[in-house]
Amino acid sequence: MFGTGIANALFGLVALLCYAGATLLYVVWLRHPQASAGRTATVLAALGAVFNFGFLYVRSLALKTVPYSDLLGSMALFGLFLAAMALILEARHHDRSLGAFLMPVSLLFLLLSFVLPGGGEAKPEMRGSIFAFHVTMNMLSYSAFAVACALSLLYLVLGRQLKGKRHILNGPVSRLPSLSYLERAARTSIGVGVVSLASGLTMGFLWAYRVWQEQHPEWLLDAKIWGSIATLAFYLWVFVRAHRGAAPGTTAKLAVAGFVLVLLSYTAVNLFFSKVHSFT
Amino acid sequence: MPPEIVFVGWNHQGADLDLRARLAFTPETAREALEGLFRERILTEGAVVSTCNRAEVYGVSEVPDSFEALAGFFSRFHSVDVSVLREKALSGHGEATVRHLFRVASGLDSMVLGEAQILGQIREAHRRAAEAGTARAVTSRLFQSALECGKRVRTETSLGARPVSVPGIALSLVGRIFESIEECKVLLLGAGETVELTARLLADDGVKQILFSNRSPEKAKALATHFHGWTVPWEERAKAFADVDIVLSATGATEPVVTAAMLKPVLGRSRRRGPLLILDLAVPRDIETEVEGFSDVYRYDLDALGELACDNAKDRMTDVPHAERIVEDSTQKFLGWLAGLSHVETLKTLRERLEKARLDEIERYASKLSRLSPEDRAVVERMTETLLHKILHNPTIGLKEGDASERLTRAAVVRALFRLDGGE
Repeated sequence: MFGTGIANALFGLVALLCYAGATLLYVVWLRHPQASAGRTATVLAALGAVFNFGFLYVRSLALKTVPYSDLLGSMALFGLFLAAMALILEARHHDRSLGAFLMPVSLLFLLLSFVLPGGGEAKPEMRGSIFAFHVTMNMLSYSAFAVACALSLLYLVLGRQLKGKRHILNGPVSRLPSLSYLERAARTSIGVGVVSLASGLTMGFLWAYRVWQEQHPEWLLDAKIWGSIATLAFYLWVFVRAHRGAAPGTTAKLAVAGFVLVLLSYTAVNLFFSKVHSFT
Repeated sequence: MPPEIVFVGWNHQGADLDLRARLAFTPETAREALEGLFRERILTEGAVVSTCNRAEVYGVSEVPDSFEALAGFFSRFHSVDVSVLREKALSGHGEATVRHLFRVASGLDSMVLGEAQILGQIREAHRRAAEAGTARAVTSRLFQSALECGKRVRTETSLGARPVSVPGIALSLVGRIFESIEECKVLLLGAGETVELTARLLADDGVKQILFSNRSPEKAKALATHFHGWTVPWEERAKAFADVDIVLSATGATEPVVTAAMLKPVLGRSRRRGPLLILDLAVPRDIETEVEGFSDVYRYDLDALGELACDNAKDRMTDVPHAERIVEDSTQKFLGWLAGLSHVETLKTLRERLEKARLDEIERYASKLSRLSPEDRAVVERMTETLLHKILHNPTIGLKEGDASERLTRAAVVRALFRLDGGE
């Protein structure tokens, strides 16, 4: 990965350190809400996102295409989207509690992008706006599903504490947003994920039809593609039933289960079952 | 006798409710009392803090035994035996007075630890004393410092952050479950005092959808009319659970008025809303505990609310040492300011400040003065020294004149004008 240059490595390293600092301070803030810790966490998260973007930008200059045509780049993009979503939610709702749960995931994915081998120079067919749009929208959808998963987990934790009737007005749980907010924000995240995955898959089909139709006519049967279609169908169903007023607790459990599906599609299916469509 | 800050008071720690009621001040009687204390020269400045838990007087006094004088005055003012007042009183002078008022402002001396109303009451006491002209330099600074100390305690500790009353806990629970209480639809079961009070609080908080249901429909209708709400027939109360966010029940029934069996068809698939908060404030319970088994239903009765209040009260206790440190810090800062108000200290600081300015100016013009002969330079230096002494002559006399309160006020003015407490 260091083959893409010193600047690339430097940006990645600084982003990693910022995310690590932000994660630590968000957790500290959740336990002892001091304004200085919270503000510093936000600044570090924002700096981390800027350097994460810089990391991808320098990489794209070196690869002469989108910097996330391989697993390494896609994980760094995933980290960036998650950090950005955490910051957007924080700014919109003046609430820092989600940072303690979303920043560690950003950190983990950026860290993974450091240890995974890069895919080398992109193939000529991976250059172009349709491919870029396909990957960007798919990564955005996965990030949105990750956020929905985190929000749903928090919903379940807070709901459990409320049922237990103890320590809900003090301690870290008291700094979580309300149940209604968690439920609504998770539903919105699923909606964003569904729309972006649908548009990303559409672009993917277009691109695959142009590029693979002759070389790999079996592309439509690839496990990764069917995994993504199944993911889209599942989340669409969850979104529609949630929108129609299904019990929020059940929706939260489904959102957590759905993200397991995303992770499987992203990792196991991608690496072991997919023949035509696999990141390396 | 040099002037000293003093206080005397009767509060929930020493005086029972009857005595506190007899010693309570209205704004008018507080003013009368202060005027009397000035007339009898017991205080040269002062203010009265009167709440349902305390009646306390703070001020500056020059009388040798200020406690006796104050107890005697209030005995006559309130027609209470002076021996009772002596026995039940809290009093202090100097540092103890400052620390006591700062602890009061911080909620550390309150019956409910950390309660927030006291800050407003102290602000009001200061405002009234300032209007009456009895709060001068020292009392004003004392009360302003007390307010700053109280705010600091509330900002830097969680002493007053968590509610310890049942309505406060219930409101906090609403905040844990819903984003905004205004958007909530609330069903109130019963028509007694608790329901009426709750309806008033909800209406004040901006809740627009309040449903009333009661065994006697007339009472429910009267409440609905008064609070611009709707009624639900008593027989259909369980059905209404499907379409509300919060249910509060406070009937006088001896058996549960809502059972899990009644709610089963309602809280299953047909419910098309988010979480449901049930507050059962009735004794015995109105709503069966089994309803907690339904998904997204959170039921709290008085026992559960009481336990949460106890948790919060315990939590407040953990912040007491931090709050006491803030009180101590604020006390020492105020005492430092007060010590500087003696005319000797003020004059000394003023002389030092002006002498430094004189020397700085001589230093600034050193190159030009070097052209003069040593004799001429000595003349210039003597001239600046004489000028300084003449400037200080009248302030020196003025700071020593008048009664204690006037001297302290003048010293405070001089310190403020010449910025003697910091800054050049």
